[in-house]
Amino acid sequence: MPAFAVTPEQQDLRASVRRFLADRSPEAEVRRLSDTEQGFDPDVWKRMAGQLGLQGLGIPEEFGGAGAGHVELGIVLEEMGRALLCAPFLSTVGLAANLLLTSGDRAAQARYLPGIAEGGTVATVAVSAAGLPGAGVVARRTDDGWRLTGTEPYVLDGHVADLVLVPARTTAGVALFAVEREASGLGRTLLTTADRTRRQARLTFTDTPGAPLDGGLPAVERMLDLAAIALASEQAGGAARALEMSVGYAKTRVQFGRAIGSFQAVKHLCADLLLESESATSAARYAASAADEDAPDLPALASLVRFSCSDSFVKVAADTIQIHGGIGFTWEHPAHLYLRRARTSALLLGDPAFHRERYLRRTGV
Amino acid sequence: MSATDLRNEVSAWLAAEWDPARPTKEWLAAVVEAGWAAPRWPREWFGRGLSDELGHVVEEEFRNVGAPGTGQDRHNLYAATVLTFGGDELKRRLIGPMLRDEVSMCLLYSEPDAGSDLAAVRTRADRDGDRWIVNGQKVWTSSAATADYGMLVARTNWDVPKHRGITFFLFPMKQAGVEVRPLHQITDEAHFNEVFLTDAAVPDAHRLGDVDRGWGVLQTALAYERSVMGDRARAGRGTTGMAEMGDELVALARETGRIDDPVVRQDLARVAALRLGNGWNNQRAKAEVEQGSSSSVMSLGKLAMSRLLHESARVRTSLAGARAMLEGPDEPVGDEANFLAFNAYFTSIGGGTDQIQRTIIGERILGLPKEPEVDRDLPFSEVRRG
Repeated sequence: MPAFAVTPEQQDLRASVRRFLADRSPEAEVRRLSDTEQGFDPDVWKRMAGQLGLQGLGIPEEFGGAGAGHVELGIVLEEMGRALLCAPFLSTVGLAANLLLTSGDRAAQARYLPGIAEGGTVATVAVSAAGLPGAGVVARRTDDGWRLTGTEPYVLDGHVADLVLVPARTTAGVALFAVEREASGLGRTLLTTADRTRRQARLTFTDTPGAPLDGGLPAVERMLDLAAIALASEQAGGAARALEMSVGYAKTRVQFGRAIGSFQAVKHLCADLLLESESATSAARYAASAADEDAPDLPALASLVRFSCSDSFVKVAADTIQIHGGIGFTWEHPAHLYLRRARTSALLLGDPAFHRERYLRRTGV
Repeated sequence: MSATDLRNEVSAWLAAEWDPARPTKEWLAAVVEAGWAAPRWPREWFGRGLSDELGHVVEEEFRNVGAPGTGQDRHNLYAATVLTFGGDELKRRLIGPMLRDEVSMCLLYSEPDAGSDLAAVRTRADRDGDRWIVNGQKVWTSSAATADYGMLVARTNWDVPKHRGITFFLFPMKQAGVEVRPLHQITDEAHFNEVFLTDAAVPDAHRLGDVDRGWGVLQTALAYERSVMGDRARAGRGTTGMAEMGDELVALARETGRIDDPVVRQDLARVAALRLGNGWNNQRAKAEVEQGSSSSVMSLGKLAMSRLLHESARVRTSLAGARAMLEGPDEPVGDEANFLAFNAYFTSIGGGTDQIQRTIIGERILGLPKEPEVDRDLPFSEVRRG
């Protein structure tokens, strides 16, 4: 399948996800959930799995999923980004399910993936915000199995995860461990995130038992690349929606007896934002299809979309505030929700400057 | 006709006729004679009456063997404009030679007072029996000194609003009353000319479209030109294409010992993202158009290219450092940095400035309301100039 060709099934997928989110995740719901401790609606989470099969979309059929690819996952994430869906999807699917798949650990896959696919399990990966696996946690072998000790300060949806996958340092390098909800010595502190539509927790591990998984560092790095592409899709969707808001407002807001979009200062800004938004979409979709084809330059591409889609989304969301003027400065207007999402998602899994440098290294420069 | 039959016919014809050693003139004549030069045009006008889709089949077969000359129904803006708007006599006389590349052409559009606002042309054409007498000045005309004809927009009515008093001509360049002066560019090159027209003549038979209706003809001609221009932004002197803006910057960073400078590295990654992103946008636009949906990505291409060229020139200048104070063959690094920095304006100004481009994107793609146009309904003679 050449990059950018869209099948009728993919169009249907986009349309049904968009309908579902319009119904289940309108702005009022996003705001309501932003104020709850849990941060998402378990009923919606169940329906996402039951009605649309979203959590299991990329999970192989043998583990209860649909066996679709990263392009399909990208479509879903673009739509979720547009709607600012409050749900532990990036953590459960983009991080944890991908890590279970890249680990190649069939026993762990059989144990955890069906629960994720059916919407029963919320999962995450305790990986540092800098995208450096094993930075915060050390694992040591005891007579009674592996024990984890340390802190990961920024764990997506760590406050609600039923399953936490932990890359931890061992004497033999970074290894993977599964920590389940009730594990002893697991401390969770919900953080006050600038983007209240996406929760993070500080997780502390104190002699916490962890079940070892296959895979190690290569599995984590592969997962981080796939998660980078998933996040880029979400950012592209958010940028597209923010631009729509800007253009819509520029058409209807009248000052000096004219729609403000007729002024070049506003019109030209919108044209620049269209270039940003469409470039982010093209890059994210290209990277998703490269992931499906297992392209050899995937690591470089993943870093490239991490910084370019982050920068584009921040630019579009920031200028969306500016275009909206006074109303854009109010809490009641949704423009700031997108800027909060844009600013914080740019800092997940390694910030743009980190990925610019890493892009060069990964292309041999 | 099925695509397969056509493919077989074209490839059999190419197998019999195509020889890379064949003189270009003779080859083009054979292509025109066979109807492959403009296969989508009707048979009576040098074509084969093929659908657009089948036209692409012909182009593909030519491409496969590396033979030139087909696809002119899409690329030859001069022949296409004459075919669409010319009288039968003019078409019979000139389209063949145009397709065979026997006539040289130029564009007489822009004027000193009509740049972005092209409808403000002041070059006048006054009727004199079965011909028109032309007076005025054109600018940014490439190939003016060698051209046989120029596509000319001139004002034929001063008492109506600007868009409604323009006529389009196929103007004979080789005559007294046409003076061509090379225009010295900021790159120290001269790819363009000024053209001074003093009591020059054009037969009424060379009029394309109706009198005072030239603005519509121009829109069609410009659409052809844009589709041709899409990917024609020039890179540096003696270098080709997009690679210049990626790998050559890296090579230069190595050469200048700056490859480990973190600021430089951030810049290199940014430029790479712009360059790759433009390529993906183009691929996506193509895929969307092929799938039958309209694509907003297409119209962003020129703006995106201009951003990339200016940004890569900026990085190149920072890599050149003090050497960018110098030019000329003794200082090739500085020379190239300066050339690219100046030449980037070729793309951000030529063919519609970035600002005009943004207005077009804002209005046509995003649907934002137009700016009030103070001269829209005024007779042109009353419009302010300066």
